[in-house]
Amino acid sequence: MKQQQPPVLLRKLLKRIISPEIYDEVEGDLAELFQERLHDMSMARAKWRYFIDVLCSLRNFGLKRKLTFYNPLVMYKNYFKITFRNLLKYKGYSFINIFGLALGMASCLLILLFVNNELSFDGFHEKKANIYRLDEVQSFGAVSEQKVALSMYPMGPNLLADYPEITDFTRYWTLGRTLVQYKDQSHYTENLVRVDTSFLKMFDFQMIEGNRYSVFDEPNNLILSETLAKRIFGDENPIGQVIRTGEGDENQIKVTGVFADVPDNSHLQFDALTSTKLWDSEQRRNGWGSNYLNTYLQLANNTDVEKLEAKFDDFLVKYMGEEVLEFYSLFLQPLSDVHLGSMDITHDYNNHKKFARSSVNIFLILAFFVLLIASINFMNLSTARAATRSREVGVRKSIGAYKGQITGQFMMESIMLSFIALIIAFLLSFAAIGPLNGIIDRNLDLSFFFQPLHLILVLAIAIFIGFLSGVYPALVMSGFNTVMALKGSGMKAGKSFFRNALVVFQYAIAIAIIIGTVLATQQLNYMQNLDLGFKKELVVTVNMYNDTNSKYELFKTELRNQSNITDVTATTQRLGNNLHQTSMQYRADTALINGSSSFVVVDNNFMDFFEMEILEGRALSDQYANDKAGLSFVVNETLAKELGAGDREVLGMPFHFGGNDTLGVIVGIVKDFSYNKLNLKVEPLFMSQQPWGWSEVDVKLRADKLQEGLAEIEAVWSTLYPQRPFEYQFLDDHIDKMYQSEQQLTKVISILSVLAIIIASLGLFGLASFTVKQRLKEMGIRKVLGASVSQIVMILSKKFTALVLIAFIISAPITYYMMDQWLASYANSIGIGIGIFLVVGIGSWLIALLTVSLQSYRVASSNPVETLRIE
Amino acid sequence: MRGTHLGEFEELVLLAVAALNDNAYAVVVKSEIEEKADRKANISAIHTALYRLEEKGFLESSVGGATKTRGGKSKRFFKVTAYGFKSLREAQSLRQSFWNAIPQLSTQK
Repeated sequence: MKQQQPPVLLRKLLKRIISPEIYDEVEGDLAELFQERLHDMSMARAKWRYFIDVLCSLRNFGLKRKLTFYNPLVMYKNYFKITFRNLLKYKGYSFINIFGLALGMASCLLILLFVNNELSFDGFHEKKANIYRLDEVQSFGAVSEQKVALSMYPMGPNLLADYPEITDFTRYWTLGRTLVQYKDQSHYTENLVRVDTSFLKMFDFQMIEGNRYSVFDEPNNLILSETLAKRIFGDENPIGQVIRTGEGDENQIKVTGVFADVPDNSHLQFDALTSTKLWDSEQRRNGWGSNYLNTYLQLANNTDVEKLEAKFDDFLVKYMGEEVLEFYSLFLQPLSDVHLGSMDITHDYNNHKKFARSSVNIFLILAFFVLLIASINFMNLSTARAATRSREVGVRKSIGAYKGQITGQFMMESIMLSFIALIIAFLLSFAAIGPLNGIIDRNLDLSFFFQPLHLILVLAIAIFIGFLSGVYPALVMSGFNTVMALKGSGMKAGKSFFRNALVVFQYAIAIAIIIGTVLATQQLNYMQNLDLGFKKELVVTVNMYNDTNSKYELFKTELRNQSNITDVTATTQRLGNNLHQTSMQYRADTALINGSSSFVVVDNNFMDFFEMEILEGRALSDQYANDKAGLSFVVNETLAKELGAGDREVLGMPFHFGGNDTLGVIVGIVKDFSYNKLNLKVEPLFMSQQPWGWSEVDVKLRADKLQEGLAEIEAVWSTLYPQRPFEYQFLDDHIDKMYQSEQQLTKVISILSVLAIIIASLGLFGLASFTVKQRLKEMGIRKVLGASVSQIVMILSKKFTALVLIAFIISAPITYYMMDQWLASYANSIGIGIGIFLVVGIGSWLIALLTVSLQSYRVASSNPVETLRIE
Repeated sequence: MRGTHLGEFEELVLLAVAALNDNAYAVVVKSEIEEKADRKANISAIHTALYRLEEKGFLESSVGGATKTRGGKSKRFFKVTAYGFKSLREAQSLRQSFWNAIPQLSTQK
C-alpha cells in the first residue's frame, strides 16, 4: 500500500515553526498521528486534524532542547583552573604577556590622570560657563599682531554699564611680592592681588572666615590664604587685625577674611586679596591706553558671545576715538580655555602652569598607541601560544565542546589576564606617580580612579581590551580541526601572516614614537643652546623695589668694588620675558611718523654687560650727557630695517617715544638678540636709559667664584637694605624655565617611547621563542646535516629582520611628514637629517635581532639529539 | 521544592513516561494520557511538557527508532531521571502527608 503523506504545504509551515534541533522528532510524531488517524477517519478529516496539530505547534515556536546536565559553573571552574595552570606552566611567557600589557595600561592610566587634571583647571567655579577673560589683540605698526591677556583699568566698569548682557566683571591686578608688617615682623606675601568686590561672587574660591559678599566693604580690607594667615598670625585670630604695607596711615590694612589655599588646578594663584578701591583714582578711571591688568566678565545665560564681541569695536571707538581700531581689538576667552588655550597669548602673567592643548592631545595619542602596542603583544602571544594548547582544544572538542564554548573559554581567559594586568598596572602606577609628579610638576592622585564611576569605566576598558585581544586567538583556536589538534599541530602554515602584520604594525608605531621623541628632544636642546645674541651665563638677577631704587647708584658702586663681581647693570624688564611695547615717533625726511615697538629701559652699560654686538654706531655709555638724559636710543636690527626703509640713514635719526616729539636721536644699531622664547621671532626693539627706577639689577660674577660672589652681593644688600631679605635668580635658570613646558613634554614622551620599545621587544621576544620552538625539529635536522650555529641563528633571525625593515619603511615617511609639520611651528628649528632615521632604524633592528638571537642561539647551540628526540 | 515545581499536567506527563518504561515518546505518551486520564491533549502540548521536563532535569532522552509511518523520522525516547523520580515521590509524599492529616482531624471531631 502506498503511504499517504501529510500535506506538503503544512509540513513546510511546521518546519518554519519548529526549531531545526527538534524538527525531525516533532514532524515524525505528527506524521505518525496522521497515519493512525487515516485508519479511523477520512483523508480530509485527517488532514484537518493535522492542520490543527500544526497550528497548535505554534506554541512550541522557539522550543529548544537544552542540556540540563550541562552545569556551567563546573565548566567555568575548570576554565579558571586550566588558565592558572597554563600561567604557571609557562611562567616566562605569562610574565611577558601580562607585564607588557600592565606597562601599557599603567602608562595609559597615568596619562589619563594627567589629562584629567589638565582638563579640570578652573572647573570648580559654578559660573564657569558664563565667565570669560577679556583679551586684546594689539597691532602696533611694525610689531606683528599679538594677542595679549592684558586689558585696561576702565574697561570692566564701562563694559558693565554699556552692555546688559554683561552681568558682572572683576579686574585682577597683581601687586606681586609685597612686604607686609605685623607688629615687628615682616613677611612676604608671594602674590597680593587687587580685585573688584565682585571677584568672590564670580569665582568660587572657598572662604574659611569672613563673608564673601562683604569682606571688601571698606577700601583697606584684605583677606589672606589660610597658610599665609598662619604664618603671619600664628594661632591668633586674624580677623580684625591690622597689618601695614608701608609707612603712613594709608598703608594700614585690616584683615577681614581668610580663604582656603587656592587649589593647584586654578589658573589664578594668589595668597592675599585686597580691593581695587584703595588704588582707585580719577586718573586711573580714565586711563584708557594703559594695559596692566586682567579683566574677567560674567555674561548672562545664553549670551551670543560672537555678537557681543562684534560690539566691542564700537565700545573702543566710543572711549578712545576712531583711530584706536588700528591698534586694538578685543575678544573674549572662555574660562575653560584659559589654561589650555593660551599658548598664543603673550603678557599672560596670571596663568598658573599654562599648558598647550596640543600637548595634551599628543599625550593622549601616545598613551593610546602604547596601549595599542601592548594589546597587540598580548594578542600575538596568545595566538602563538595556541599551538601549545592545541591538544587541549582537541580533547575538549572530541568530548563534545561546541565551537562557541572554546571561543568563550579563551575569551574569558584573555579577559581574566587583562584583569590581572590591570591590577599590576595599578601597582605600577602607584609606584610611578611620585617620580612622575616630580617631572611634570603636578600633584596627581590615583584616588581619582577609585571613585565608583571611574572604576567601572576602567574595568570596562580592561574587559574591552581583554575581549578585543582575545577574540582573534579564540577564533583561531576554536577553528582547529579536532584530529589535527589532537596530533598537536593545529596551526596551519600561512596563518602567521596576521601575526606578522601585527608585529610590523607594532614596530612601525614604536619606531615612529622614538624618532619623534629624538627629534623633539633635539629641537629643545637646540633652542636652549642657541646663541641668544647675549651672554646669559654667570648673571645673577636681583629684584629691585621702590625703596631699594633710591640707593641704586650706591649699591652699584659697592658691588663693583667687590673682588668676585665683574660688572653690574640694571633694567626694567628681565631678558627672557616678552618685553612691553610702547608707541614711538621718528622723523624721516622731515615727516613725523608714528609707530610702535618693544621697549626696554636699560642702564648705560647694559650692552657691554651682556656682550651684545653693535652693528653700527655705538652702544649707550655714561660718557655722553645725552645718554644719561634719556635722549639717546639704540635700536635692534629688525627695527632699524623698518626705520631705514627707502635707504634712509638710521643713525642720527630723530626719535622718541610715548607721545613726546622727536627729542632724541638714534645712536646705535644692535644685532638682534632673542629676548623672547626662541619659538617666537624677534620683534622690533629699542633701548634707552630713563630715570624711572629699576625693577632688577644684574650682577656678573667670576666664573669660578659663584658662591663667593653671591655672598658678596648679599653682604652689600643686607647693609644697604636691611628691611628686605636678599633674593636672587640666575638668568640662565630663568631662561631655561621658559622651556619648562617643552621639557616636561619631552621627558614624558621619552619615557613613553622607551616603554613602547620595551613592550614591543617583549612581544617580539615571546613571539620569537614560540616560532623557534615550533621549528625545533627542523633545526635539529639542519644541524645533523651540518649547519653551523651561526647559520641556524641566521635562518631564524631572517624573518624578523624583514619584519622590522618593513615596519621602518612604513613608519619613516609618515614620521618625517609629521615632524616636519611640527618643526615648522618654530621660528628657529633644526633640520631633519637622514642620520636620525638610520640610527633609530638600525637601533630597533638591533634590538629585535638581539631579542630573537637570544632565542635562536639557545636552539642552535642545543644538542640535536635532544631536539630530535622529542616524540 | 526549589522553584522547579511540577505543574499538574507536567506531573501527569511525567507519570505517563514513568509508566511507559522504555518506550515513551510523544505519540505514545499522548495516547497513554488520553487512555488513562480520559482527557484530550494536543500533541503540541505533550511536546511542550516533555521538552520542559527535560530542561528541568526530570527527564533525559535519546534518539532512535525511525519507522515508515513516521516518514522515516526518528523518535525521541524519554526516560525519567533519578531526580525526576525523586520529585515524583516527593509530590506523592507531600500529598500523603496531607492525607495522613485528614483522618486525624476527622477523628478528633
